[in-house]
Amino acid sequence: MSIQTAPTPAPARSRDGSGLSFGRILRSEWIKVTTVPSTVILLAITLVVMVGLSTLYAWQLAVSVGFMADASPEMQAQMGGGMEMFREQALMAPASGYIFGQLLIASLAVVLIASEWGTGMIRSTMVAVPTRIPALLAKNLIIALIAFILGAGAAFISYFIAQPILSSEGLDFALTDDGVLRSILNTGTYLAFIAVISMAIGTLLRNTAGGVVTAIGLFFVFPVIIVNIIQGLADWIPDAARFLPTNAGDRMLMFPAEAAGQLSPLEGGLVMAAWAVALLIISLLVAKRRDV
Amino acid sequence: MIEAQSLSKRYGAKTAVDNVSFTVQPGKVTGFLGPNGAGKSTTMRMIVGLDRPTDGAVTVNGKPYPRHKAPLHEVGALLDAKAVHTKRSAYNHLRALAATHGISNKRVNDVIELTGLGPVAKRRVGGFSLGMGQRLGIAVALLGDPQTLIFDEPVNGLDPEGVLWVRNLAKGLAAEGRTVFLSSHLMSEMAVTADHLIVIGRGRIIADAPITEIIAGQDKIRTLVRTDQPEELRRELENRETTFTQLEPDLLEITGRDPRSIAEAALARQILIYELTPRQSSLEEAYMELTRDQVEYQSQAIDQPEAPVPAAEATLISGGGKSA
Repeated sequence: MSIQTAPTPAPARSRDGSGLSFGRILRSEWIKVTTVPSTVILLAITLVVMVGLSTLYAWQLAVSVGFMADASPEMQAQMGGGMEMFREQALMAPASGYIFGQLLIASLAVVLIASEWGTGMIRSTMVAVPTRIPALLAKNLIIALIAFILGAGAAFISYFIAQPILSSEGLDFALTDDGVLRSILNTGTYLAFIAVISMAIGTLLRNTAGGVVTAIGLFFVFPVIIVNIIQGLADWIPDAARFLPTNAGDRMLMFPAEAAGQLSPLEGGLVMAAWAVALLIISLLVAKRRDV
Repeated sequence: MIEAQSLSKRYGAKTAVDNVSFTVQPGKVTGFLGPNGAGKSTTMRMIVGLDRPTDGAVTVNGKPYPRHKAPLHEVGALLDAKAVHTKRSAYNHLRALAATHGISNKRVNDVIELTGLGPVAKRRVGGFSLGMGQRLGIAVALLGDPQTLIFDEPVNGLDPEGVLWVRNLAKGLAAEGRTVFLSSHLMSEMAVTADHLIVIGRGRIIADAPITEIIAGQDKIRTLVRTDQPEELRRELENRETTFTQLEPDLLEITGRDPRSIAEAALARQILIYELTPRQSSLEEAYMELTRDQVEYQSQAIDQPEAPVPAAEATLISGGGKSA
């Protein structure tokens, strides 16, 4: 031990086949999502709130119809084809939690990526995956998948909870009825696109508060402002507002599927997908170039 | 092995790293020394691809870091003890990073044991002390059992036992033939840890040499002399190269003369001296000397004589070109 030896050569490394791969990066991002307790709690809350809201929606619909049935014959006559309108509204019951679900999913997606910048974790991530894009893509894929399962799952659960409530007034319907499965599955698709758009915003802004405000502005405030305040300024404004991500995307869930002056479910879905893909690509390119 | 060629980084008008070239060799600990804001961290961040160089290039083991197929097996980096999500446990942080390279949980447990994190591994990182954060950062760096290690201020916040541990770890890794690149502003720490030293100031390399050479090269011979007749001794020795500092009534510090010639002069004059102590510069003093030279050079560009260390000289001349 006391004998001075020449510097030993680099130790032989036996790590055949080990190294970066997209599957492994996905696994890493999955570990990250599941090991921050607040993320798991927020997802559970989202599920409960979505199912709860659509239960309330079905209940208020049943109460309204029951109230109408008890009303005088003249009033019923006045309402005319009211029953047909309620039947269409009942079909929206499974998906109706999406309004609030998108708020929580958008916040979660922003937080997942922006907190990496906030805490400095992003530097560890990008030293481990220095090409950067695979890590960000993996994170997007995982949040999109979670949002899809959560959205479609909540809509399915809501369907089964809503049926007994609606059946008291004869408003119940089958999964096989026209458009029902489309609306349930697309609740997931819609939330997946919301997640990707929000994550792109979080990546670009690198700031949780700013990202959440921007996402909610884009999804809620902006469409309302356009529709209610400035639409009178020019004819093309309400026309163009149909192509905002949420206005286009919620056509995927709505009944009736085809309505005059509205995008079809497929068109709406494609428009929202275009927003998601465009923002995703921009965010990847910016994150790839930027210093962290 | 780390090779930087003409590496520069500018943030707007501010130049953080200015045309820096150096090589960090395997098998020894290379210290990266400089005052705050000198460009140490920026240089290290460019090595692992976190910052994009404005100019020049840097390779690790022959390739730019992002081109490696298994980057964590090539380079382990502790750049910032706070690069951790505060709500995640140390164990899960390591597990998530290990997963990107398919590194086993056994290795995760090994580095936890190695860095002494065992008792706190399942706790949230947010509650960690600075010292525990540093240990976690070192655990991350060791995860891939890499050939090259980069530690930015690793002993920051560590207790004395931790400082000793990092010192021995760095030396041990270098003895195994690995490349160890270690930054610090603690010059005394460098003196006992590093074999080779790269000194950076204001984004430029001031010196790049074995540590013994830097200490020796900067050392003007200094001798402490105790005598009852300091004035007479002073008159005897006075010439252009020699300077005197009266430390105490009977104690002189003489710079520029070796002890033997002082003794000979005293003997010739029959001056009694009862202490004659040669003093070696500490690394800290050498370092102050180096950075002071650079500052002096910038303020009086024309008259400055040649700098004593060859590596420093080259950089000083290029530095003059910029300030002119």
